[in-house]
Amino acid sequence: MDGVVQLQKQLVDYSASLFDEGILDEQFNQLQQLQDESNPDFVVEVVSLFFEDSERLLNELGKALEQQTVDFKKVDAHVHQLKGSSSSIGAQRVQKLCIGFRNYCEELNTEGCLKCLQQVKHEYSLVKTKLETLFKLERQLIAAGGSIPT
Amino acid sequence: MGSNRAVQEAVSSNPSVTPQIVESTEALTVILLISCWYIAMINRVERHLNLNTHAFHSKLLFEIEEKAKFLHPINSSATNLARVLGSSLNGSAKLSFSEIETRVAPVLFQALSTVTYLSQISYIGLEGLFFSYYTERNQTFAVYSNSSFSSDRSDPNVRKNYISYIQSVNNKTGKLYGKAIESPPLSMINTSWFQAALNSTHGYASVETGWNNVGDLLFLNSARINGGGVISLGFPVEALTGIFTSMDRQDESSYLATKDGKVLIDQGLPNIHMVLDNNVVSLQLMKPNGDQIGRVGNVSCSNLKDGMPRASILNIQEKEYMFSCLLLDIVGVPSVYLLGFPQNGLVSLVHKNKKVALLLLILMIATMVVSTVSFVLIIIRAAKQEMHLCAALIKQMEATQQAERKSMNKSLAFASASHDVRASLAGLTGLIELCYDEVALGSELHTNLRQMDTCAKDLLGILNSILDTSKIEAGKMQLEEEEFDLAQLMEDVVDLYHPVGIKKGVDVVLDPYDGSIIKFSQVKGDRGKLKQILCNLLSNAVKFTSEGHVTVRAWVRKPSLQNSIIASKRNCLPCLFYKNSQAYNDLEAMNAAQQDPNAIEFVFEVDDTGKGIPKEKQKSVFENYVQVKETALGQGGTGLGLGIVQSLVRLMHGDIGIVDKEIGEKGTCFRFNVLLTICENISCDTAKSEALDIEEGCTHQMTVSTPNPGLCIRTPSPKLAIHTPSPRLKASHVVLLIQNNERMRTSQRFMENLGIKVSVVKQWENLPFILRKIKHKQSSGKSDLSSPNEHLSRSPSSTSITIEMDKPLNTIDGSDYILSVFKRTTPRCTSSFILIVIDASAGPLTELCKIVAEFRKGLHNTCCRVVWLEKPTMRSISFKGVEDDMINSNDVIMSKPFHGSRLYEVVRLLPEFGGTLHGNIGKQKRESMPQVRKMPGDHPSSSRIRSYSENYMTQRVELQDHSSSSETPGKKIFSSIQNLSHVRYSKSRSPLRHGKSSKEQELQECGNPSNEKFLSGKKILVAEDNLVLRMVNVSSLSGLGAIVEYATNGQEALQLVCNGLSDKRKHGASNILPYDYILMDCEMPIMDGFEATKKIREMEKDYRVHIPIIALTGHDASSAEAKRTIEAGMDAHLVKPLRREDLLKAIRIIDNKQKYV
Repeated sequence: MDGVVQLQKQLVDYSASLFDEGILDEQFNQLQQLQDESNPDFVVEVVSLFFEDSERLLNELGKALEQQTVDFKKVDAHVHQLKGSSSSIGAQRVQKLCIGFRNYCEELNTEGCLKCLQQVKHEYSLVKTKLETLFKLERQLIAAGGSIPT
Repeated sequence: MGSNRAVQEAVSSNPSVTPQIVESTEALTVILLISCWYIAMINRVERHLNLNTHAFHSKLLFEIEEKAKFLHPINSSATNLARVLGSSLNGSAKLSFSEIETRVAPVLFQALSTVTYLSQISYIGLEGLFFSYYTERNQTFAVYSNSSFSSDRSDPNVRKNYISYIQSVNNKTGKLYGKAIESPPLSMINTSWFQAALNSTHGYASVETGWNNVGDLLFLNSARINGGGVISLGFPVEALTGIFTSMDRQDESSYLATKDGKVLIDQGLPNIHMVLDNNVVSLQLMKPNGDQIGRVGNVSCSNLKDGMPRASILNIQEKEYMFSCLLLDIVGVPSVYLLGFPQNGLVSLVHKNKKVALLLLILMIATMVVSTVSFVLIIIRAAKQEMHLCAALIKQMEATQQAERKSMNKSLAFASASHDVRASLAGLTGLIELCYDEVALGSELHTNLRQMDTCAKDLLGILNSILDTSKIEAGKMQLEEEEFDLAQLMEDVVDLYHPVGIKKGVDVVLDPYDGSIIKFSQVKGDRGKLKQILCNLLSNAVKFTSEGHVTVRAWVRKPSLQNSIIASKRNCLPCLFYKNSQAYNDLEAMNAAQQDPNAIEFVFEVDDTGKGIPKEKQKSVFENYVQVKETALGQGGTGLGLGIVQSLVRLMHGDIGIVDKEIGEKGTCFRFNVLLTICENISCDTAKSEALDIEEGCTHQMTVSTPNPGLCIRTPSPKLAIHTPSPRLKASHVVLLIQNNERMRTSQRFMENLGIKVSVVKQWENLPFILRKIKHKQSSGKSDLSSPNEHLSRSPSSTSITIEMDKPLNTIDGSDYILSVFKRTTPRCTSSFILIVIDASAGPLTELCKIVAEFRKGLHNTCCRVVWLEKPTMRSISFKGVEDDMINSNDVIMSKPFHGSRLYEVVRLLPEFGGTLHGNIGKQKRESMPQVRKMPGDHPSSSRIRSYSENYMTQRVELQDHSSSSETPGKKIFSSIQNLSHVRYSKSRSPLRHGKSSKEQELQECGNPSNEKFLSGKKILVAEDNLVLRMVNVSSLSGLGAIVEYATNGQEALQLVCNGLSDKRKHGASNILPYDYILMDCEMPIMDGFEATKKIREMEKDYRVHIPIIALTGHDASSAEAKRTIEAGMDAHLVKPLRREDLLKAIRIIDNKQKYV
C-alpha cells in the first residue's frame, strides 16, 4: 500500500506541477471531471485524439509554410483548429502561442509564422511528454490497485 | 441629436454679430477718413482763398492805378490849351481887359463846355487881370477883374488890386448877362501855384480851393501862355476821387492824400486818420472830437517792388489790416493812395465757418459713433440673449432626452417586470389547467379552479392592457377581432365579481333586459378589451358600493336599419334613456354612416347604488390618474382604470358617459356603447335548423337546448310559429322568492316578457300565504291571479300576453328577442305548471322546505317544481339537515347567482319552453348540473394529459422550468410530456455520478437550473468539426443530463434538423422542437455555422418553430465574429471552450426570451 500511496502522491505532485508551470489549466480539470464510470478512459481518449489532431495539424502547417507562396488563410484555419483543440484539453501554453501565431498570419509574416511554428512544436512536444508521463503514472497507480485521486 | 442641432444653430446664428462689429469699425474708419479729408479740404480752401484774396487785392490795386492812369491825359489839357491860346495871341504879353474879353473868353468858354469834369477855367494875366468861368449848380458864372483898381490904394509899392466881378453867363453862348456883382478881389499872382505855373514850361498842378461860393477843392491845372499869362483848369476833387471811391468795397478802407499832405479821401475805419509824411503814411487813432489818441503804425510807400505796392500789416483795434500804398498821379498831382483791408477778411469767415462745420461734423460723427456703438451693443445683447436661449434650449433638450430616456428605461424595466409577472402567471395558468383535469367534474374544486383560471387569464389580460396603455396613448392600439359569445362574456364578468360583491354585501346582478343580447350574442370583436372595459367598470362599481346592488345590463341597437324598431323599442326603454336619446341619435347616424350593415351597436350599462360621482367631477373622471378624492379615500387604485376604459371604448367606435340618475337615486350609472359585428353565418345556420324545427313541429317535444346559448340563436322571422298554449292549458306560474330586490325585479321582468306569470314574494314569511292563494286559484280553476293582493306583485304584461300573441312578432316590444331564443313547445301535459324559485338563504331552510312540502301535498293535477338557489359554498352544508322527503327528487338545486344561463335554464324547465314535468334533471341534482353549468372551453389535449397523469408530478416540475417555451396550455403540456420522456431516457443512459447525495438528486428532481443536471431531458445537437472539441462538448453536455447528437459540419447539422422536423410533422407534432438547443461551431468545413443557421431558420418558418441556436466560437463576445453570429440568427454566443456557467446563462436567457415569443 505504501507504493500506492507514494504513487498517488507522486501523481498529485506531478499534476500540480503541470498546473504550476502553466502547461495545463482549469479546462483539464473539467475534462477530468467529465470522466466517470461510464467512460473511464475519457481523458486519455480525448488527449490522444488531441495528439493525433495536433500532429496532423503541425505537419500541415509545416508543409504550408514551406510553400513558395504561403496560403495564410489555410495556415490560419489550421492554427485556429489547433487553438480550439488545445484550449479544450487545457493545454494553455500551446493555446496562447496559437494566438500569437494567428496574429502573424494576419500580418502575412512568414518569418514570424515559422518562428511560432517552432515554438508551438516545442510546446506541443512538451505537453505531450508531460501528459504521457501523467497517464503513465495513472496507469501505474491503477495497476497497483490504487484509485486516481481527485 | 437634438442638442447637437441646437448647438449648430447657435453657432451659425452667432456670426451675425461679427459683421456688425466689422461694420462699426468700418464706420469708425470712415469717420476718421472724413475728418482727415475735412481738414485737408479746409486747408486747401484756405490756401485758395488766400491766393484769391491776394489776387483780388492786387487786381484792385492795379485797377486803381489804371484808373489813375486813365485820368492822366487831363494833365496835358491845360498845356495844350495854353499853347493854342498862346499862338492865337501871337505873343502879345500884355492884354487889355477888352482883349481878354473878346479873344480869350470865348476860348475859355469853349474849353469849359468841352472838357469833361472841368468845372472852372481861368485866364490870369501877368498884371493881375484875370477872367474865369466856373460852374455852380449847372449855372455858369464868370469872375473877372477889369482894369479898375480899388480906390483905397495908397501904397504905390504895393501892387494894385483889381476889383473882380461875378456875372452870370449864358450856358449856350457864353455871353455875360445880368448884373455884375462885385466880389472881394482875388489876388492870383501871388499864389504859389501861379508862380510855379509861370515858371514851369509843362504846367503845374495843385489842389486849390475853387472860386465858387462853396469853395470846393479843385485840382488846379495851370500852364503858362506863351507871352504872359497863365491858364488854369480846375477839376473838382470830388468828381475825380469819386472814380476811386465808387468801387463798392466792404471792410476796406481807402485813403487818398496829395503828397503835400492834403487828404482827399478818408474812407474806412472810424477814428483812424492818415497822416502823410515824406512817403510814409502814418495812421493815427483819433477821438471823435479830433484829439489824437495814438499812432497805429506807418505804411511806407517808398519802396515799391516790381511796380507793385508792398503791403504792410497793421493791427488796428485788435484786427489785422493789410495796407497797400499806391503812388498815384491824379491830374498831375502826385498823391498817395492807401488801401487797407482786413488781413483775414475772407479767411476769418472761412475760419468761422470752418469751426461751425467742424462742430457739425463732430456732432455728426459723434451721433454716428453713438448710434453705431449702441447698435453694436444692442446686437451683442441680442446675440447674448440668443446664446442664452440656445443654451437653455440645449439644456431643455438634454433634459427632455434624459426624461425620454428615463421614461424609456422605465417602460423597459416595466416591460421586463411584467414579463416576469407574465411568466409566473403562465405557470399559474398551466398549473390550474393541470389541476382542472385532475379534479372531479362539477365538484366545488372544479368551479374554483375554473374561477382561478379565469382570474389568472384576466390578470394576464390586464397586464397586457397595462403594457398597452402606452400603445393607446400613441394610438397604436389595435383591436383583436375574434368571434365570441357576448352573453357568456357578460355572465362570466358578472360571475367573477359576484363573489366579491357578496362578500361586501352587494349583489351583482346581470339584467337580461330585453333579451336582445342573447339573440345577438355571437359577435365578432375584441373580446379581451370588452371584457376589460366591463371588468374595470364593474370592479369600480363593486369597490365603491357598500350596500345595495350593482346591475349590469346590455341591449342591442341596430343602427338606423329599422328606425321603426328603434322607435318602438324606445317606448319601452326606461325614461332615463330619453335624456340622452338625441345624443345617441347623432352618434347612431354617425356610426351608421361609417360602419357596415353587419355592425350592431351594443349599449352597456353598469349601474350601482354606491356613493356616486359628484356632477362636476363626472367629466374629469375619465382622465388618467384622476380619482374622485372624497369617494376614493381608502380605496387605493391608480386612477388609470376609467381612462383606459374610455380609450378602449373609443377604439371600438363608441363612447362612454355617466348617465344622470333620478334625484333620490343613489350611485352612478356608466353607460357605453360599442360597435360589434354579428356573425352572419351562424345566424343563417340557425335559421336553417330553425326551419327544420318548425317542420318537425310539435313532435319535437324533448328540445333541451344546448347550454351554450351561442348555439341556439334564432333570427326572428315572422315564419316562426309560436305555439300558443292550448286554451285548456293553464299558463305556467313562477313564484320568485329572492332576497335581492333588484335581482327579483330583473328576473320577474324577464319572465314576464316571456309571457310567464310571475308572482313575487318579498319575504319568506309571505310564501305560505301566496302559495295558498295559488293553490286556491288552481283548485278553483281560475288562473287569474290579479287579485288586489299587496304581497303579490302583479305583472302588467300578464294581461297583455294574449294581446302579444295576436300581434305580428316584430312589433312586440323587446320580448321578440327572448322569444326567439326560447322556443315554445306545446307541452304534452295538460295540467298547469308551477315553478317556485326560492333563495335558500332567504329564510330558514327547514321552514321553507316545510312550506313547499305543504304546498305540494294539496296539489292536484298540477306539476310543481322547486328550484333552490344557494350560495356556491353553502351547498354541502345547507341541505344536510333537511330530510330527504322534504326535497322532491325533481327539485333543482342551483348555485347563485341566479342570472344569465342559470336563469335561462330555469325558464327552460317550464313546459312551454321545452321542460318536462318529470324530466331527468332532478336526478342529476347532486351532480354538477351540466345543463346549468357550461362546460369549460374545449381542451383537445385533455385526454392525452390524463393518459400521462401517472407522471404528473415530474411533469409539473418540468413544466415550471421549460414548458413555457410554448404558448397555449395545450402545447405546454405537450412539451412537458416530451421533456418527461427525455428525463427518463437520459436517466437510464447516463447514470448519476457517484458521490452525489440524495439531496442533490432531489434538487435535480425539482429542476433547479443551477444544478449539474439542469439539461436533463433536453435534446441537444452539437455541430463541431473538431473531433476533440466535439468529444469534450458532447460529454460535458451529457454530463449535464442532455441527450446529445452531433454533426461534424453545418451540412450534417442542417440535415439532422431537417429530418427531425419532418419526423415531428409526420407524428403530427410539428410544434415540438426536434432539438431543444443546437450548439453551433462557426468555422466548419463544407458549411459553416452561419450558413447552417440561416438555412435552419428558413426551414423553421414552414414549421413555425424556433430552435434556439447557440454559437460557439473562439472569439471574444465583443468581437465582430460574435456579432455576426447574432446577425446570422443565432440566439446566443459562447466562447470556446464551453463552460458550464456560460451555457447555463445562455440557456436561461433563451428560455426567458422564448416565453414571450
